Amino acid sequence: MSDRDTIDFLATVPLLAGREEADLMELARVMRRRTVREGEILWRQGDEAREVLFVVDGAVSTSLQVAGGRTVEIGRAGPRQILGEIALLDGQGHTMSVRVTETTTVLALGRLDFAALLAGQHSTAFRLKRRLASLFTARLREQLRHLAVSLGGESAGLPAEEAGPALADLERCRPPDSTYVRRMATFHDFDPLALWGFLTSGKYVRCPPGRTLVAEGTPSSAYYLTINGAVEKVLVRGDQRIRVGLAGPGKAFGYESLIDGRPSPVAAIARERALLLILPRDVFEQLFYKEDAVARVFLEAIQRDLLATLRQTLRPCARLAASV
Amino acid sequence: MCRILAYLGEPLPVQTPLFDTDNSLVRQSYSPRMMNTFLNLAGFGMEAWDPTSLRPEDPFTYRATTLPSFDRNLRFIASKLAPTCLVAHVRGVTYSGTALVADTNLHPFHFVGTRVVLAHNGHLRQFPRMRYSLVEHVEPALAQRIEGTTDSEWIYALILSQLDDPYGLPETRELADATANTLRILRSVRAAHGIDTSSPANICVSTGRALVATRFSFDYGWYPPEDEMLETDLPFVSLWYAIGGEYSMRDGDWRMTAGDPPRSVIIASEPLTTDSSSWLEVPEYSMLTAELVPGGIEFEARDLDV
Repeated sequence: MSDRDTIDFLATVPLLAGREEADLMELARVMRRRTVREGEILWRQGDEAREVLFVVDGAVSTSLQVAGGRTVEIGRAGPRQILGEIALLDGQGHTMSVRVTETTTVLALGRLDFAALLAGQHSTAFRLKRRLASLFTARLREQLRHLAVSLGGESAGLPAEEAGPALADLERCRPPDSTYVRRMATFHDFDPLALWGFLTSGKYVRCPPGRTLVAEGTPSSAYYLTINGAVEKVLVRGDQRIRVGLAGPGKAFGYESLIDGRPSPVAAIARERALLLILPRDVFEQLFYKEDAVARVFLEAIQRDLLATLRQTLRPCARLAASV
Repeated sequence: MCRILAYLGEPLPVQTPLFDTDNSLVRQSYSPRMMNTFLNLAGFGMEAWDPTSLRPEDPFTYRATTLPSFDRNLRFIASKLAPTCLVAHVRGVTYSGTALVADTNLHPFHFVGTRVVLAHNGHLRQFPRMRYSLVEHVEPALAQRIEGTTDSEWIYALILSQLDDPYGLPETRELADATANTLRILRSVRAAHGIDTSSPANICVSTGRALVATRFSFDYGWYPPEDEMLETDLPFVSLWYAIGGEYSMRDGDWRMTAGDPPRSVIIASEPLTTDSSSWLEVPEYSMLTAELVPGGIEFEARDLDV
């Protein structure tokens, strides 16, 4: 594969679409090409991440280890898809094992070079963060679809009035103490001024336990951040109800629809009484598409939340697979 | 904040979960992976049931306020015991002058003559305010036996008091109901005192034949101002399990082997190995029950709505 071929290939990768040719040349220079034979393991679940891989040709399968030493295939990946970015971004081990199912060519990008793509406050970094958010949202939907299929049955949905206008009748309240918010791991690394900008861009409400804030299958109209309390994300199929995540302090929910315009993949129901920061759609879009320090904080927060949610959603997958 | 470990199944050398694995319980006392702001240096305790021992219905008991990693007696004993049921605990307390490190505060709690033991990972915030309102829910004879200063010992006395016979061997279902009822009592007493801040209650109770474990918190996500435990309590307190045939070393790794029906289960605050791929996270607000039956164990996980 010549440098020209590599650049032409990179131009077709959705995650990198729109990048200047000079950018792609720079990228091609630091990437390493590898051919991996059928049956080889690229990495095992839990291994430390050192690089991301762009699949040039061939195919791989991703699998999850479950109790009793069994392995369950969760998905497949092929040309122009990216592998290993979750573990590289959150610093934890790989979420799944990856096995090559037919001889595959990959381009490897090391940890530091990948981090450099996302660093700084320039348009290409912002664009890449937004694309990653879309990619992770698509992955999350795929994982949830997999889980829903395992549960069987149709989405139970909720009556329209129960899903209702979530914001209107919730009690408005004052913002929380900023010292408390800064102690949350989610916001540790943020510049205080930018964090303040983010925290003052929405409104605060109190929500009683049991209240449905987002209904599965209907578009969410806002981004929600739990400040106090907990909101559970659930899938309901027939008489089976499975919690796929719990949004405790510093965790967000309801934003998938705002990223990709599709209905919410899960319902969000307050498990505890909760104090929430709500950003209506227009405020969300403003922050998501702006390119300043506050938007950077916001995109970072979304990325961390999506990564944590992707990991959290794999846990019921593993439990369900273990019980089969 | 403590770490707990419970095991039920095929005879398992105690040395394995306490010392051998790369995230063993003793290692979690000084280097917990899932609680990086807090250490568990306030003592160790265990109850182990060995069917081949004298009076097999009585567990072997060991407790010491010394650091378990330097406790030679514990190492010697652990290398000789292979129980079918084990409950062990390393205790963590806040780094303050008011914390009391004492033998009477060590878990698992076990009143002499009773068949149930308890270990707790969590803490009831503002417990001194509600402590004496619990008296009316505890059998007087059991209340008199509370020796320590912990909330956990009161939880233990409450659970025993919910049993038809606090000195008998309860069925697994009765033990599970007693645990859930205890959480309901605690919720109502907290409400009566206006206590509404996060209070984790990961509880493990056992009879040697059965285990009941909860992953639960009252008012999760609400904290008092300037709370010194905030960073520890912001994530929901962890609990994991591994279920299968037997826990053994294969190809250099400690793992639960396949087993259908299952014959062994380990429940622990953290996976006992840094590779957690064969462990499952216990869902928040849920209860696990496991019971020894002919041919294996019966295991159930259910939502805990109290």
